[in-house]
Amino acid sequence: MNNLRGKIKTIKTHGNISQVKVDLGEVCFCTVIIETPKTASYLKIGNPIQVVFKETEVIIGKGKQEDNSIQNKVEGKIIEMEKGKILSKVIIKTGIGKISSFLTTDSAEILELEIGTQVCAMIQTTEIMLSE
Amino acid sequence: MATIKINLQKKLNAASGMLHLDVDMNIEKGQLVTIYGESGAGKTSILRMLAGLMEADSGQILVNEKHWLSSQERICLKPQERRIGFVFQDYALFPNMTVKENLKFALEKGQDKSIVEELIEFMELGDLQNRHPEKLSGGQKQRVALARALVRKPEILLLDEPLSALDAKMRSKLQDYILKVHRKYHLTTLLISHEVGEVIKMADKIFILEDGKISKHGKPIDVFSSKQISGKFQFSGEIVQIEKEEIIFIVTVLIGANFVKIVAEENEISNMKVGDKVIVASKAFNPILRKIN
Repeated sequence: MNNLRGKIKTIKTHGNISQVKVDLGEVCFCTVIIETPKTASYLKIGNPIQVVFKETEVIIGKGKQEDNSIQNKVEGKIIEMEKGKILSKVIIKTGIGKISSFLTTDSAEILELEIGTQVCAMIQTTEIMLSE
Repeated sequence: MATIKINLQKKLNAASGMLHLDVDMNIEKGQLVTIYGESGAGKTSILRMLAGLMEADSGQILVNEKHWLSSQERICLKPQERRIGFVFQDYALFPNMTVKENLKFALEKGQDKSIVEELIEFMELGDLQNRHPEKLSGGQKQRVALARALVRKPEILLLDEPLSALDAKMRSKLQDYILKVHRKYHLTTLLISHEVGEVIKMADKIFILEDGKISKHGKPIDVFSSKQISGKFQFSGEIVQIEKEEIIFIVTVLIGANFVKIVAEENEISNMKVGDKVIVASKAFNPILRKIN
């Protein structure tokens, strides 16, 4: 589980769904949740909040990552790596904190990932949860 | 509108010293509520005072606008004047009587006996009705105890950890029986329980009792997920297994009567072990639905 601390920057609500932007320092992460300021007391601009997402939801790219629909991106460097037969884990040091990612070992090999590789970590807005 | 208003004060000699029980609870008719807390917090004493088996130092119990207890007005109904069914942890069946005789013995003078047959059928005790308690399993005994508690058609059912001596499978079955009778007989039920899964499955409302005081109350899922998380696909359960697979961990969690498996990272579960209660959360965007034909 990845856990990053930030502050709520904007909240856009329509019906039961809200789009929340969280200021994490170097970048903002955006999430879509089925809560509104009426149903969740923590939804207040300026409130400290944790951004939570699973390792399996972190997509890793090399080079420029522009032409895709993923809104949440942060660049960093691989500082730890563990390879299994099927799955691998990498830990990326970024300006907003460490981010772990699980990917297939095949993918890690195709991308030639190793400690020190510069990568971009990407997380879909619908995969991010908020926690107080 | 609350149909049961409880306000009770009582000094108790607990294992840890003097305990000052002081509770205020409102329970709506037809609700199944749980009292949850550590042993020695005063849970059983609340049920006993409600049943009239223990005297309160002061307070009042108001059921459907009628005083069962009012220390101010010096009212205290006798246990038999309160429409209550009580099931204890230790069955308390008469060993010298068969199942059916145990039920019949609970009848009030002049009461229509058809309720005994009805309960035997509804609680599926037909094959057991002529057996003595010693020939029954723990789960069966508790089913009989539950049926016996209903013979006098109580309005309020008090369950003092009736399932704690049973294994997980039996417990789940008994939970279903309790829910069944709770609904059929329009009971208001108070259940003492230690099991988070049980509380989530059964209770409309939970009261958490700490050192004789209600520290929290509300819907179980809200009360147990103390840190709010936005995941809408959320359940609470108990860890039954943690296995390492390559670089990840697969955690098996018992939720109600179902097992689910969750992939976890080492740091995430470093402070968790088998038996721990956990919240399993995911976003409403992830699960898929498929109609069962």
